[in-house]
Amino acid sequence: MNLIREIWQSIVRRDPLSTDKGKSELVFLNVWLHIHPAKVKKENLKFRHSFYLGFITFFLFLILVTTGIALMCYYRPYPPQAYQDMKDLQFVVFMGSFLRAMHRWAAHGMVVCVFLHMCRVFYTGSYKKPRQFNWVVGVLLLLLTLGLSFTGYLLPWDQLAFWAITVGTNIGSYAPLVGGQVRELLLGGHSVGEAALLRFYVLHVAVLPAAMILLTIVHFWRVRKDGGLSRPVWKLKPAKPEALVTIGAPATVAPLQAAPASSSKTYGLMEVVSGKPIFETVTPEEEEDTVFSYPYAFVREAVALMATVTAIMTISLFFHAPLEELANPAKTPNPAKAPWYFLGLQELVSHSALLGGVVAPALMVLALLAIPYLDRNPSRRPVDRKLILWLFAFFVAVNLVLIVVGTFFRGPGWALVPPWVHVVGGAE
Amino acid sequence: MERRLQQIFFALSLLALALIVAAAWQANTPSWKTYQRSFLQLEAQGEPNAVAKAAVLATPPVIHQVMLTGLQRVDRCTTCHLGVEDPTMKNAPEPFRYHANLGPHIPSKFGCTICHGGQGLATDKDGAHGNVDFWPNPLLAKDYIRASCGRCHKEGDVPGVPELTEGRHLFETQGCRGCHKLNGVGGSIGPDLTGEGANRRAPEWLERHFLTPNAVSAGSAMPNFHFSKVQARDLTYYMLSLTNEDMGSYYSSVRLIPGPEYGRQLFVEKNCIACHSVGGVGAKTGPDLLGVTTRHSTQWLDEQLVNPELVYPGSSMPEYDLETNARKALLAYLATATPDDVQLILSRKTRAWTPEDVAIEAGKQNFARFGCVGCHGTELQGGVANPNAQGGEVPSLLHVSDDYTKDEVIAIIRNGRAPPLENTSGPTPPLYMPSWKHVLSDEDINRIADYLWSKQQKKESW
Repeated sequence: MNLIREIWQSIVRRDPLSTDKGKSELVFLNVWLHIHPAKVKKENLKFRHSFYLGFITFFLFLILVTTGIALMCYYRPYPPQAYQDMKDLQFVVFMGSFLRAMHRWAAHGMVVCVFLHMCRVFYTGSYKKPRQFNWVVGVLLLLLTLGLSFTGYLLPWDQLAFWAITVGTNIGSYAPLVGGQVRELLLGGHSVGEAALLRFYVLHVAVLPAAMILLTIVHFWRVRKDGGLSRPVWKLKPAKPEALVTIGAPATVAPLQAAPASSSKTYGLMEVVSGKPIFETVTPEEEEDTVFSYPYAFVREAVALMATVTAIMTISLFFHAPLEELANPAKTPNPAKAPWYFLGLQELVSHSALLGGVVAPALMVLALLAIPYLDRNPSRRPVDRKLILWLFAFFVAVNLVLIVVGTFFRGPGWALVPPWVHVVGGAE
Repeated sequence: MERRLQQIFFALSLLALALIVAAAWQANTPSWKTYQRSFLQLEAQGEPNAVAKAAVLATPPVIHQVMLTGLQRVDRCTTCHLGVEDPTMKNAPEPFRYHANLGPHIPSKFGCTICHGGQGLATDKDGAHGNVDFWPNPLLAKDYIRASCGRCHKEGDVPGVPELTEGRHLFETQGCRGCHKLNGVGGSIGPDLTGEGANRRAPEWLERHFLTPNAVSAGSAMPNFHFSKVQARDLTYYMLSLTNEDMGSYYSSVRLIPGPEYGRQLFVEKNCIACHSVGGVGAKTGPDLLGVTTRHSTQWLDEQLVNPELVYPGSSMPEYDLETNARKALLAYLATATPDDVQLILSRKTRAWTPEDVAIEAGKQNFARFGCVGCHGTELQGGVANPNAQGGEVPSLLHVSDDYTKDEVIAIIRNGRAPPLENTSGPTPPLYMPSWKHVLSDEDINRIADYLWSKQQKKESW
């Protein structure tokens, strides 16, 4: 009995979870959990504040990593074996199509959730001081997500993959000066072929996931360092700008010094070091409002995780991942379409290659990156930010409309054809 | 609230477990297992006692597959079609029935899909039979399966499939290459036919197309050749055999079946009768060939055809670049050659050929082989409709020397030409003269001109 207790205590060193100390130690003595604060604001946990979109995105990434590693066991990145491996997954590998479907749908889901997460962060103004840089990291993560999805799109080596990547990389080549070279570097040649498949595979399973993991670590770390989740917008008081407390010592303030200890408050290490409260606009009333991460935050994360997993599994059980004919460079489908999230771009390109394919997306990305530095309005309350919210809503709407038009309303020859009209002979 | 959340977490976890079980159940109950169980029951019926029956029924389900690296395919058809090689399953219900009359085409060497079409990788019925989206070759209908013989047997006669030989012959003589490319040679007015058999086109479509091109492909520039139904079927067979697949050496080595008919064709083509005789009929330069196959061993004769001087120093017989099966075919013909038959061959040749005759004959061959006859006619009569071209049709070439010099004609063949318009504001005529300089050598083009000039009919002068 003693031995068992000794083993247990060698693993778990914290006090029992019934005590507040135990609850805190569960978090900061645990390498996996210590990215959380020991205590969080109860109000920040509300679903209608964040919709847990960041968590869901991360969980989708976890699903993608696990299913992706399993898929790697069955995949050879050279044509035409790559395509045969898809068929083998479908027909002979135990639960192979389920696995591939989960990977596919989780990938699409991740693109959607990253975007929605960005919209939420924008709406709540959470990119504002001191979180400007984390927004930039987030935009980079969005680009990485698109890159991962795009490189994965080619791997099945079917007609859908081949032509989507051909069209996608063609859009990239419209960039002046470097466009052609970048395309050649990416494809390892002038057209999509064996070299391109290998390069996309390497990018998809090694380079981009590594970059993704590194930036995700930065993203999470910065969430903590920037003061945890932003306050829900409904908790924000209409305060005079100068009264807003933000962390990071302004230059005008006296040198840092340890805050005087108060017997009525527990201090986090960071507060002791910086002499500043972690949370923005901390007031004694709000201090009452905090709860231990265990179990309040953890149970919510666990529910979000299981909801994500079950949703993806349910979809994958009923809908197989698409697979068309073997890639055939001699047989161009009409119309050849890029992956759906690039169809807005393709739609723009169909109007003007340079403006739509280069200028517009470059401006879009630059604008996204610069938003926290351009938006000088210090208030995060939506009522104070009506103009910019409308502008952002317009930006989202334009993107959605372009994607919907590109996906459903474009027929042979990129002619405007409503989805309910069947084009006779369109396939030939 | 916290309690409720924990309950939700617990419920979702159970749901996730249930979903995994459902996915595993879905993966573990494929339709092929059902087929294998019924097959085992069928087999068990033949067993004498209960123990043997139980042993048969206890056979674990397993996917059967034939890996055909030479044909670049994996066929899993025998996972369900379990009795294909078992003669006792002659009267069994499908999918277990024995496949009779396979000859040398054993499934372990050839699989199934090379002849039948369908999706060899699939393990469910619809997928395997190719009746699904995104699979270009569904199972061939029974009437057309024999067309697949032509995928490997690309030359000579295929026993039991006269359609293929005839279709191939029609293709090469009716001038199809004038508009269509096949294996890199031909015009570009119509689509390239190199992989036509691999397109998802119903055989019936092809057949109707040959009968009346415009009926199935509106606005097609293809003239109506007034093929008979049999000819349309022959051409359809030939088209279906054109899959442009890379056949492994094992399969491509048998592309020509060595039969006496093909041997006779070679005997005529290579003009053996110019030196040899058969039973006294023919020339006397070389030895008489009647009964030659009984006088020498097959190996000796084969060697003689490969390198005559090695076998018989000082032999004046030229080396003919014949491949293995062509030599076999020639020997097969020699074994059956009779003086009467050779007389028949001789009767077609009235006199010895002069170099001019050879040039004209070569030109005639080119004229047919590269498809000029498709538009200009086998007798140079022209007449294929070409709306809004001068005269409304492709011109006859019988009077070409009245309007052009030989060099001008050679230039037109080399560079191609758009036909002069009947009505300058009208539409562009669908047919035009393609440029042949990248396909034909100058030598070939000159021969064609020689041929044309040999056929010129001078206008009556009065």
